[in-house]
Amino acid sequence: MNAKMNEALAFLSEKYSVPHGEIVMDGGRYKVIAADGTATALLPWRVERRFFELKNLILNKTLERVSTLRFASITAGGSLKEQLARELDLAAWMLNEKIISLYAVCAKDVAANVIVKFGNDVSASIECSTKLPADGRPIDRHEIIAGRGIASDQAVDTQIPQYSIYAFTDKGEERYTDVDSELFGFSNDEIWIIRAAFAVLSNPGLSAEWNSAEKTMNELAAAVFESDRSGSVIKF
Amino acid sequence: MKPVKIAMMSLTHGHTRKYYQTLRDNSKLDWVASCAEDQTAKDVYELYKTGVPCYLSAEEMFEKHPDIEAVVLASANSKHLEQVKFCAERGIHILSMKIPTFNMEEYDEMIRICDKAGIVCQVELEMHYNPVVIRLKKLLQDGVIGKILSVQATNITLSPVWAFPWQGSPEASFGSRVPLKSGDARFRGGALCDHPHIFDLVRWLTGADFKTIYSAVAPNLREDLEVEDMLLVNGKMSDGTAFLFDPSWSRMEERLKVPGPGWEVFPKRMEVNLTITGEKGVLVCDCFGPNVYHNGAPNDRYTVQYTYFDEWVGLIDEFVDCIRNHKEPMINLKWHKQTIEAMNACYESIAEGSPVKLG
Repeated sequence: MNAKMNEALAFLSEKYSVPHGEIVMDGGRYKVIAADGTATALLPWRVERRFFELKNLILNKTLERVSTLRFASITAGGSLKEQLARELDLAAWMLNEKIISLYAVCAKDVAANVIVKFGNDVSASIECSTKLPADGRPIDRHEIIAGRGIASDQAVDTQIPQYSIYAFTDKGEERYTDVDSELFGFSNDEIWIIRAAFAVLSNPGLSAEWNSAEKTMNELAAAVFESDRSGSVIKF
Repeated sequence: MKPVKIAMMSLTHGHTRKYYQTLRDNSKLDWVASCAEDQTAKDVYELYKTGVPCYLSAEEMFEKHPDIEAVVLASANSKHLEQVKFCAERGIHILSMKIPTFNMEEYDEMIRICDKAGIVCQVELEMHYNPVVIRLKKLLQDGVIGKILSVQATNITLSPVWAFPWQGSPEASFGSRVPLKSGDARFRGGALCDHPHIFDLVRWLTGADFKTIYSAVAPNLREDLEVEDMLLVNGKMSDGTAFLFDPSWSRMEERLKVPGPGWEVFPKRMEVNLTITGEKGVLVCDCFGPNVYHNGAPNDRYTVQYTYFDEWVGLIDEFVDCIRNHKEPMINLKWHKQTIEAMNACYESIAEGSPVKLG
């Protein structure tokens, strides 16, 4: 799939007159290598449009006096630590604040419940689990609770993500959400990887920021398990 | 490929602002100028700080920028014919708004003018470039639900007339002052004229043309409008597909002069949903969802914050490709003609109180 993703990245670079680069897999995560050899960790959730819109609601003051984030992510297998890293980075990026402490309780290596405090006193809860049945569609929720306004990527009175198209046939029910006509045919996960690489190539200033954020999110995710083991609040 | 030098004209259409980012970002384009219909349109344009010069006269714009190759005609429907003539005389390619005209003599004249001038005239029906619609078309082509039997579709929105007053004017929107029906104080030119997309999509998805159409108007939600804001449409396609459309302005709005946050009263200001029944199953589709949701500023109402809106990217890509490579756009004047005829048939049906046959 890397080859096809790189073809798509080259297409975007050509179309928008942006320097070329290459997406590579390194240590279980994707990176983009720029023409000068600079390697940048990709944080695809930072270009996913629903998250971008949620962040904008804070930036443009649609929401005022943010108090608490409630994030959840449930997957069918996969690494709990990777999930935690993503959600912790997403929360810090959305608020543009550093995490100063966390307390976590975990269930084996399949579920974690974390309470996080930020430097501006905002709290966040992060719920992660990997126990959906095999091939189960990921379930997540990202809610921002503020003194003025609540925002979420889930519609009111729904518990699980909605889709753009539902196909009901003798073969059962199938669901589709397509979000990017320029990259139609790729899965949404692949689309955000390509878009993240394109964002870095368009704005090389992101490289240092994202590499630093990757290091931080690794430390935060590791701290979740340390907090669970020690039964203590981990401060940063 | 040499970038296409492009301009925008009039700037009074509701879709005007949706082009700004695409015209700036796409390296195949060089957006060199705009000209506004009047000072009010220019003032609104300048709020968006595009950095592209804006004139109050098309003549002046073309004099100062003789290298303009193409224009987006972002104007009231009643302006389209004169602007098509103006551009064709200069060999300028045209991206027309979704309703070229409702007058079929004028429509045929536009076709003749563009053919004679050898220019590209693409009609802006952006749903064709919506990724959800692309998926829908693929599922149907793949035979997931078999032959289409029935289509229900909504194209329901708030009313844009307070920001774009020409859309509430029978003359500017429909092209003339025609009563809806005997004993009705309203005129043609309202919600129906704003919503061609589902008429177009049913043709595109089925590959068939309209055979019969019935339409009924309901009491207006906005009693001070002189055009219709609520109507329903049903009928049959030439392949037997039964359809039911709601192209109303059924979502209420704050009466803003410039569209912006807080415009909507109902949480979702614009919806294009389709339910398609086939011989082997059913597809239900929301072309503009899911999104993110909030109840923050300015009005603290539950609101859909649209998340995916990139139809304009594909639409402009096709326009540029057609200009540079001498191709005919997918949605050209000739293709679109039957859609306009079907919309006119809705008004005829409303006037007569009975179904209208087409073709």
